[in-house]
Amino acid sequence: MKNKVIIAALAATLSLTTQASAADMVFTSWGGTTQDVQKAAWADKFTEKSGIAVLQDGPTDYGKIKAMVEAAGVTWDVVDVEGDYAVQAGKAGLLEKLDFTAIDKSKLDPRFVTDYSVGSFYYSFVIGCNKDAVSACPKSWADLFDTTKFPGKRTFYKWSAPGVIEAALLADGVAPDKLYPLDLDRAFKKLDTIKSDIIWWTGGAQSQQLLASAEAPFGSFWNGRLTALAATGVTVETSWEQNITAADALVVPKGAKNKDAAMKFIALATSAEGQAEMAKGTGYAPINLDSPKLMDAELAKTLPDQQTASQVNADMGYWAENRDAIGERWYAWQAK
Amino acid sequence: MVLLTERDSPPPAARLRLVRPMNFALTVPALLLLVVFFILPVLSLLLRSVMEPEPGLGNYAALLGSTTYLKIFLNTFVVSALVTVVTLAIGFPVAWALAIMPSRLSSIVFAILLLSMWTNLLTRTYAWMVLLQRTGVINKTLMGLGLISEPLPLVNNLTGVTIGMTYIMLPFIILPLYGVIRKIDPAILQAAALCGATRWQALTRVLIPLAAPGMVSGALMVFVMSLGYFVTPALLGGTANMMLAELIAQFVQSLVNWGMGGAAALVLLVVTLTLYAIQLRLFGTARMEGR
Repeated sequence: MKNKVIIAALAATLSLTTQASAADMVFTSWGGTTQDVQKAAWADKFTEKSGIAVLQDGPTDYGKIKAMVEAAGVTWDVVDVEGDYAVQAGKAGLLEKLDFTAIDKSKLDPRFVTDYSVGSFYYSFVIGCNKDAVSACPKSWADLFDTTKFPGKRTFYKWSAPGVIEAALLADGVAPDKLYPLDLDRAFKKLDTIKSDIIWWTGGAQSQQLLASAEAPFGSFWNGRLTALAATGVTVETSWEQNITAADALVVPKGAKNKDAAMKFIALATSAEGQAEMAKGTGYAPINLDSPKLMDAELAKTLPDQQTASQVNADMGYWAENRDAIGERWYAWQAK
Repeated sequence: MVLLTERDSPPPAARLRLVRPMNFALTVPALLLLVVFFILPVLSLLLRSVMEPEPGLGNYAALLGSTTYLKIFLNTFVVSALVTVVTLAIGFPVAWALAIMPSRLSSIVFAILLLSMWTNLLTRTYAWMVLLQRTGVINKTLMGLGLISEPLPLVNNLTGVTIGMTYIMLPFIILPLYGVIRKIDPAILQAAALCGATRWQALTRVLIPLAAPGMVSGALMVFVMSLGYFVTPALLGGTANMMLAELIAQFVQSLVNWGMGGAAALVLLVVTLTLYAIQLRLFGTARMEGR
């Protein structure tokens, strides 16, 4: 019996290693439904077209990227990271410059293009609400921060990233065009008023679980997760008022072994078709300006790029500059 | 091993056996594995704590000088102590019952214990999340029975962490305690009764003192394991109950500040090793193994 188990384990290891050696490049993202779509919309198509096999890895880990680059043993070729991290890591010398002869950036939304990164998809932090669980749904950030009008738990993104601090300032009445530089004192003061009513979500799946179970009947969510949740039959109301945009980015760690393949992969991922497929599968918005034309008009309407009326853009440049300082203060505040 | 030979001075023959070169050679692969894949990386992280961002003890000063981080240290100890006490309080009666129940019954209880131990940690923690949440089974049942009108806050706080971690730690206290209690001769309890001891006296003056070494070593093990726990507190606790392991992960992964991460890791390591030293000093390795 024991021998059989060992043999099975060995066989599994062997098949894994052959799989890895057959791969010609590695794509790393955050896992879950988003990476499933990235595989189908980008990696599988890329392999079909170029014959280059793509191994999926994850989740993205900034500590690992730093370790790989420092040890000159980079095993990830293309990585999906947060937009502000991409800017910061580019400056810190952790990333390869992208080859814009291979990647056509003329059709890409310039908000999401730097020397070291291009947008992967963009999303909005929106106000989501489980309509079956409460009598009234918060419509604005001010509502979401109002515990008298909307008593109960509310959920927010746990990690230090663009989104929650902006929401607190907007709720406190700061005009969208006066958000930056962020008034952290004011933001934390506002956050203090609801701190004991916050349940933090650490990942998309958890945010859906909290909302569906009404553990937290409302909160701030990635818009795509609400679309997906609504598709499962949960009565979700989404308020796009002052939706806060942020983007993920595709980057190539410095010293990646398959740089050429990586550039071609990014070219396909950011092409009009690649971005349209991605948007269809996830409910996130394409960063290629030609993609909406390729999509079903009904679906295109539900994406953040159609919700620009009161849209607020998180400033990735500001965040990249201040990411560490904000992060330290953020986590210290959370633990208080 | 070295400690063992020095402390308990086994007979010369045994000592010879321990140091025979052939036997030592057999440990080389395991030692090499430890050195290359564990000790060296840990050392390099610790080295970063005094080298990054600049050489010196700045990271330690920042870590120990901040009330927030001190609160996290304190919280780590409070949670670990609480989990240890609750685990012991639940585990002792279970171990005792296991020791005296018919073997057919005890093998079923053991199977349940081991099965829960072998189930994936994440699965078990998520299961608790589902059970404990405001709309979870426990709250729904209690509300259905009319015992409470508002759901009890059982998760995302200290209660959730304590319940989840106690559940995970229980086998680690029941198994060693069972070993110790099994070895207590039942005739001793009969003797106590014959000498006129009440049941309570027999428990507090005979059984507990005899089981004490198992209780203390089990409790220390649970305490030390709890100090470094990550998954369960992260999922069942709120940010106000953050523990040290979570802080280290945050430094390493989110803030990519390895200097501070290394400093926090060293503090945890020092505390853990100190406790381990106390354990060795009090009980020695031999008694820990139930000999």
